[in-house]
Amino acid sequence: MRMLLRVVGVLIVLSLIAGAYFAWSLSHAVALPAGPVTSVAAAKILLEPIADGPNAAQLRQGQYLARLGDCLSCHLRADGEPFAGGLGLNTPFGVIYTSNISSDPDHGIGKWTPDQFYRAMHDGIGGGGQHLYPAFPYPWFRNLSRQDDDALLAYLKTTTPVAYQPPDNKLVFPMNVRAAVAVWNLLPLPPQPGKQTPQGATAEWSRGEALVLGPGHCSQCHTPRNLFGADKQGEAFQGGLLDNFVSPDLTGNERTGLGRWTVDDITEYLHTGRNARAAAGGPMGDVVTYSTSLMTDEDRHAIAVYLKSLSASTDVDVTAADPASMKRGAAVFSDACTACHLENAVGQPTLFPPLGDNAVAQQNDPTGVLHIILAGVRVGPSPTRPSPLTMPSFAWKLTDQQVADVSTYIRNSWGNRASPVTAADVAKLRSTLQLDEVRLTDNSGDH
Amino acid sequence: MDKPVPGRRHFLISTAVVAGTGLAGAIGATVRDGELGAPPRTYKGGVPWTEGQADSPPGVSGQDFKFFTPAERAFIEAAVSRLIPNDEVGPGAIEANVPFFLDRQLAGPFGRGDHYYLGGPWPKGTPEQGYQSRFSPAQLYRAAIAAIDKYTHANFNGADFAKLSDDDRDKLLKSMESGSLQLEDGVDAKTFFAMLLQNTKEGYFSDPIYGGNKDMAAWKMIGFPGAHYDYREWVTRHGEPVPFPPVSFKGRPGWNGES
Repeated sequence: MRMLLRVVGVLIVLSLIAGAYFAWSLSHAVALPAGPVTSVAAAKILLEPIADGPNAAQLRQGQYLARLGDCLSCHLRADGEPFAGGLGLNTPFGVIYTSNISSDPDHGIGKWTPDQFYRAMHDGIGGGGQHLYPAFPYPWFRNLSRQDDDALLAYLKTTTPVAYQPPDNKLVFPMNVRAAVAVWNLLPLPPQPGKQTPQGATAEWSRGEALVLGPGHCSQCHTPRNLFGADKQGEAFQGGLLDNFVSPDLTGNERTGLGRWTVDDITEYLHTGRNARAAAGGPMGDVVTYSTSLMTDEDRHAIAVYLKSLSASTDVDVTAADPASMKRGAAVFSDACTACHLENAVGQPTLFPPLGDNAVAQQNDPTGVLHIILAGVRVGPSPTRPSPLTMPSFAWKLTDQQVADVSTYIRNSWGNRASPVTAADVAKLRSTLQLDEVRLTDNSGDH
Repeated sequence: MDKPVPGRRHFLISTAVVAGTGLAGAIGATVRDGELGAPPRTYKGGVPWTEGQADSPPGVSGQDFKFFTPAERAFIEAAVSRLIPNDEVGPGAIEANVPFFLDRQLAGPFGRGDHYYLGGPWPKGTPEQGYQSRFSPAQLYRAAIAAIDKYTHANFNGADFAKLSDDDRDKLLKSMESGSLQLEDGVDAKTFFAMLLQNTKEGYFSDPIYGGNKDMAAWKMIGFPGAHYDYREWVTRHGEPVPFPPVSFKGRPGWNGES
């Protein structure tokens, strides 16, 4: 009994410290990610034909799981080799560098046994018995079967070995103590598929649920996190914040979610990264490049069917925008935005998203819109749409007040309705993204 | 007809120039892509793009003059005010802040002739061959202003060009334009006039971020909408006035709620 009390006490203290540091680290948040140059070229490895042989079926299953699980979005750094890791993930607790999961025996998973791999995928325990940080989506991957895990490991063991050691993590105390993850693991885990199947659910719905809650680990980004970085209960798929991007609401909310999207809209978006309503940029661009564009049509359709079944999130009250700000925003929009998004923001379907009835524009948290305007964004390339269309950065051109005004205007025009943005909001994100000074390209000529 | 064979000496000079250019590229660590001496680059795997980076134009800031001495500034003001005078059609070069534009251009890469080949030989070229001076633009302005003042000192009772009447200045500018004015110290008056007129027009009509075209007044005069990116939606709308107010790279008053 005394032992139990002591353990509980330690847990409470650890949790409090974690909470305090979470608040602290939010105010010292992260710069722009040094992400990889998303490219169809790197994703090609996931489509390489696997020769017939005794375990070809298992290897093909493993390769397909590597697509479903979006492994390369994280286990590939800029100028690195596929599966060699080393990408720095900006979390509220510091930077976590992804591990090398190539077949290298010393730096990768070359010596791992199926039991070890299963423990990692299911329990978040690494090859050396250490706790893995839940940036690795084991809370979702635990929903894969043992047979899936064995197939994925078998496939990873066929990848080119890369003798590369990713850098050490840079995390704040107490999260730099791996044992602290044991505390985290006591928090409620994401839901498991097959537990809440509604009456009349089709086999396709169930397949979609299994993909979304399992390898797809969609809610890792699309569900809001609480103070401890765990899913907020009861708010599944209502949108979250990652790397200063908003992962939009995926529920049936017509303003912020997928309420206006059809199953075909979602399927096309997952396939090509674009549709008549939106384009996949930021972290979702990577997901399209390394995962959803490489799935089967059936699986994309199943995901869409499942997502369309999510009931709408509760809408929030929206403060009315200041007419003077709207007028200034309209002026900025007319000069700076209409070249691609056109007057009245009708856009060019599948090229430049229309901004009216646009869910990304209307997220309750304006961070995503501000990020896109300040830093620019690139659409994830895919085999069917290999050209990575880019929206340029406007940080050099627009003041904080101008970004706030044009964002407020976009969020409250053409049928949109969302809270106004202040210059202080923009200044904060500009500073977080380290865009106070103009960042020139190598091409900028004489300065 | 026999093709002329390049002489051995010509060949040696050419290769030396090429080698020298390559060397400049190798040692010039600050040479940017697209600038003279920048090495070619190859991209693989994907189109390069970095979040937050922008090809922002190199605008000017401040109001102080960096290149012209007070006497040179007086010369420039006296000259450009005759090239584009302030009249009922629109503002003059002075009102459009052209002297400041010229000052900042001459203080920067244009003045240094960074984009010009300034080495010899210097035979007199044909008009079609363009700028053939051994002077960089900044050197040309400095030498020409001094040579012209030297000329007016000798021919107008010791007065600077800036002190002459409008008529006298017009006559001198015309004689420079025609090439009849002979200047000392190796300055070709016609070459200087051509550059001064060209640069004055540039300062009058270019984007205000470069210091001239103050308040976009030159654009308002001719009804030019400025740095408006795209007119696709207007291509088929014939006979309608385009309603866009002029906009600079860095915006317009309406962006800040001003008119």
